[in-house]
Amino acid sequence: MAPQVVAATVGWSANRQAGQAGTEAASSALEQLPPSAPTQLALVFGSSWFDQHALLQGVRSALGEIPLAGESTAGEITSEGPASHSCVVVLLAIDGLTCGVGMGRDADQSPRVAGQRAAFTALQAFRGTSRAGLLLFGDGMVTGHAEVVRGLQEVLGTSFLIAGGMAGDDLQFAETYQYCQGEVASRSVVGILLGGSVKLGVGLEHGFAPISKPRRITRANANVLLTLDRKPAASVYEEYFGVDVVRRMRDEGLNRAGIAYPIGIQGESANQWLLRNVVSFGDDGSLACNGEIREGAWLQLMIGSRELALEAAQRAARQAIRSLNRTACVLVFDSAVRRVLLGPHHAAVEIERIRDVVGPSVPIAGCYTYAEQAPFDAGLSADALTGQTIASQTGSVLVAAIGV
Amino acid sequence: MSYLIYVVFTIGVLATLLLTVGANWSPHAAGMTMTLLGVLGYLAFKAEMAGRQLSELGRQLSELHRLQAAYDQLDQQTKLIIRTDLELHRTQEELDRRLASLMSLHQLGRQLEVSLRPDEVFSKLDAAVVTNFGFSKGAIGMCASLDAIQWCSLIGVSEPHAEALRAHLQASGLLKRVLTNPTPQVLRAIASLEPAQQRLLDLLQVPAAVIAGILPHSGPAGFLILGRTSAGAATSKADEELVAILTNHLAIAVENSALYEETWASRRELERKVQERTRELAEANAELVRLNKAKSDFVSSVSHELRTPLAAIKGYASLLASGQFGPLAKPQGERVAKMEKHADLLTQLITNLLDIARIESGRVTMERQPIPVEEFLNTIHDVIQPQLQAKHIRYTVDRDGVTALVGDPQHLPRVFINLLSNAIKYTPEKGAIRVGLKREGPSILATVSDTGCGIGPEDLQKLFQEFYRANDPINQQVRGTGLGLALVKRIVEAHQGRIAVTSERGKGSTFSVTLPAE
Repeated sequence: MAPQVVAATVGWSANRQAGQAGTEAASSALEQLPPSAPTQLALVFGSSWFDQHALLQGVRSALGEIPLAGESTAGEITSEGPASHSCVVVLLAIDGLTCGVGMGRDADQSPRVAGQRAAFTALQAFRGTSRAGLLLFGDGMVTGHAEVVRGLQEVLGTSFLIAGGMAGDDLQFAETYQYCQGEVASRSVVGILLGGSVKLGVGLEHGFAPISKPRRITRANANVLLTLDRKPAASVYEEYFGVDVVRRMRDEGLNRAGIAYPIGIQGESANQWLLRNVVSFGDDGSLACNGEIREGAWLQLMIGSRELALEAAQRAARQAIRSLNRTACVLVFDSAVRRVLLGPHHAAVEIERIRDVVGPSVPIAGCYTYAEQAPFDAGLSADALTGQTIASQTGSVLVAAIGV
Repeated sequence: MSYLIYVVFTIGVLATLLLTVGANWSPHAAGMTMTLLGVLGYLAFKAEMAGRQLSELGRQLSELHRLQAAYDQLDQQTKLIIRTDLELHRTQEELDRRLASLMSLHQLGRQLEVSLRPDEVFSKLDAAVVTNFGFSKGAIGMCASLDAIQWCSLIGVSEPHAEALRAHLQASGLLKRVLTNPTPQVLRAIASLEPAQQRLLDLLQVPAAVIAGILPHSGPAGFLILGRTSAGAATSKADEELVAILTNHLAIAVENSALYEETWASRRELERKVQERTRELAEANAELVRLNKAKSDFVSSVSHELRTPLAAIKGYASLLASGQFGPLAKPQGERVAKMEKHADLLTQLITNLLDIARIESGRVTMERQPIPVEEFLNTIHDVIQPQLQAKHIRYTVDRDGVTALVGDPQHLPRVFINLLSNAIKYTPEKGAIRVGLKREGPSILATVSDTGCGIGPEDLQKLFQEFYRANDPINQQVRGTGLGLALVKRIVEAHQGRIAVTSERGKGSTFSVTLPAE
C-alpha cells in the first residue's frame, strides 16, 4: 500500500508586475509538489499594492481550474519571514483531502447573511462527509465580524471550528480584497471548508496583559463605545494617554499608541480578553472600535511588549499542532498591528519562533491581517468544541495547522 | 464599647434583683429572675460580639480606603508609565520608519546604478518604494522645461487629479520654484500656508507633503511630490532629509544615465569608425597582396624572359673569350671579361629575384629535415675558404653542443653563405668572423658576428628590403644586387624562423637567425 501523500508547498514572488508575480508564485509552488500529487486547493495571499485581477489571473494561468481562495494583505508571510509587496501561493496535496470554497457578499450591509451564504456555498461544493473546520477570509475594513461568524454558525453549527484572518490593504485602510475561485471582491467573506482525512488545528494568542483599572462599559452600540463608568469613553482614554496624544490619534486615526495599548473586553472568564483597537473618535466623546463592543462588560487598557508578543506566537503554534499527527503546513494570520509593534527585526524573529515550534520542514505561509477569528479556547480540537465563543479580535496571532 | 455593655449588664442584674426582692421572693419569681438574667447575659454577649465585629469592620474599611488610595496611586503611576512608554513608542516608530526608509533607499540606489536611461531612472520610483519610505501618495514627473511635464509615476493620485496638478504647478509658479531650489519644501496644512501650496495639498488630498526638484548639473530633470494621508507624520525633519537624499540619488542617476548614453553613443561611433577603417585597411591590404602578386608574377616572367637572352650573351662572351673566333686584342679581352662579369652579376640578380618571387608566391615549400651541423658547416666553410684566406680573416665556430639543424638542405646553406659572404666583404684584413650555435628552448639561435665596419642605425631598419644597399664606402667599391639579405630573410621566414641584426659602426655586426629546433 502506497504511503499517504501529505504535501503542501509555498511559492513566493516579489515581481512588480502583478500577473507575473501571480504566475511566478504559483509556478514555484507547483514545481515543489511531488509529481504524482494532484493539487487540491490553492490559497493565495497578495499585497493590495498589486492589480488584484491581474494577480489572480496570473495565479490561475499557472494552476488552472482548481479550488482557490485568498485575500489581500497588510504584508505577506513565508517560512523565510515577513515580506511586503509580494504574492504567496500555498498548494495542498493531501490524500483524502476534501474541500469546498464559498463566498458571501455585502458583509458590510448584512454580515450575518454573508456568513450564511459563504457557509452554504462552501457546503454545496464540499463532497465529503467528515468536516474538520472552516478557514475564513473576510474584509478587514468591515467591523461586524461577530455577526458573520454567527451566520456561519447558523449553517455549520455552533461547535464547528471556524478560524481565519481578515484581509488587509498594506495599512492604507481604504479597501481590501477577497479571492474566491477566479473572482476578486470586497466587503465579502470567503469560507474554505476542509475535511476528509485532514485535521485543522488552531491556536490564537495575543500576548497583551491588562494594565489599567477595570471600567464598566455602561453604554455601547455595535462597534461604538459610548460611555465607561457613565463618563464619555474618550475622556477615560485621555486620562491615560494625555490630551496631546489623543489629539494626534484623532488626526492620524489608528496609530502606534492605539496599537500598543488596545482595549481589552473581559470575556466569560477572568483571563479571556477580546482585543479591540480604537479606529476613530466621535464628536460626542465616543470611540469607534474595529469590532463589536458588549454593553455591561468590564473593560481595561491592555499593554503589550515584544517579548510577550513573541511568546504568544510560540504558544499559538504549539496549540495549533497539538492535535495533529503529521503537519502538512502552517498558516499564520498575524495582526498587522503586531507587525508594527514588533518592528522589522522582531517580526522576523516571530516567524523564526513559530518555525522552531513546528519544525524546519513544515512550510509556513500566511499574511498580516486586520482581524483574527478563532474560538476563545482555540487549543481544543474540533471534536471538543461545544458551543464555543468565536473570538473576533485584532492584535493577536492565529496559527492554523493543516495536517492529518 | 465593651465597657458600656458591662455597665448595662450590671445595671440590668441589679434591677432584676431589686425587682425580685420587691416582688416578695417566691420560687416562681426566682425562676423568672434566672431567665431574665440568662437573657441579659446572652444579650450582653451578643452585644460584645457585635461590637467586636463593628470594630473589625471599621478596621477593614480603613484598610480598604488605604488599598483604594494605593490602587488609585498605582493607576496614576500606570498613566505616567503609559505616557512615557508612548513617547518611547513614538521614538521607536520614527526609528523603524527611518530604518525602513534607509533600507529602501539603499535598495533603490542599487537599482539606480544599473539604470541606463533617464526615463528608466524615474520609473524605479514606484508605489513599493514610495510606501517603503512611509508615504502613501506620490507623483513623480519628468520635465525637460517648465511647460513640459510628463508623469512617470502616480501613486494614489488619479489621472484627473494628476492633470489638475500639472496645470496648477505650471500656472502657480510652484514648479519654477521647485526646479530652482535644491532644498525640498515641506508643506503643511496650516493657516499660514500660501494658497497655491494649500491648493496643491487639496489636489493630492493630503494634509502634508514634501515637494522637491531633481536637479542634475546639466539642468532640471524632474520633480517629486510625496504625501501622507495621515496628518502629522510627513512633517518631520527626517522626511525632509530623506527626500533630499532621494532627489540627490535620482539626480546623480539621471546624470550617470545621460553619461552612459553619451558614452554608449561615442562607443557606437568609435566602433563604426573602427569597422570602417578595418574594412578600408582590408581592402587596401587585398589590393597590396594583389599588386605584390602581380609584381612577383611580373618579376618572375620578366626574369624568365631575361634569362634566355642572358644565357646567350654569356655563352657568346665565353666563346669570344676562349678565342674560338680568333684571338682578341687586350682591350677587347678586357671588355669581354667585363661582359662576362656583368652577365654573371645579372644572372645572380635574376636568380635571387626569382627565388624571392617563388618564396613569396608560396611556390617554394621548405622541407623540414635534420641537417647534421658538422657536415653543414664544413660545406659552407669550403665555399668561403678562398675568400677567408684572401683577407686572412680568423674564422671560428662555436657549436655549443648543437648537432643538427632542421630545415631545407637546399636553401638553408644559402642563408649562412650569404651572411658569411657579407661578413667577409665588410671585415677588413686580419679581422675575425665567428659563427655561433646555441639551443634556446624550442629554437636554435645561430649567430654570425664580424669585426667589420658595422652598420649605421639609419641603415639597420632597411637592411632586409629588396635592392637596399647601405650607404658606405665598401658598398661603393663592391658591387652587389641588394637582394642577398632580402632573400635570406624570405628563406628564414619560410622556415618559420626570425632574423635580426645588431651593429655598431666601427665595431662590427651580429646577425641572429632563430630557427625551430624540431
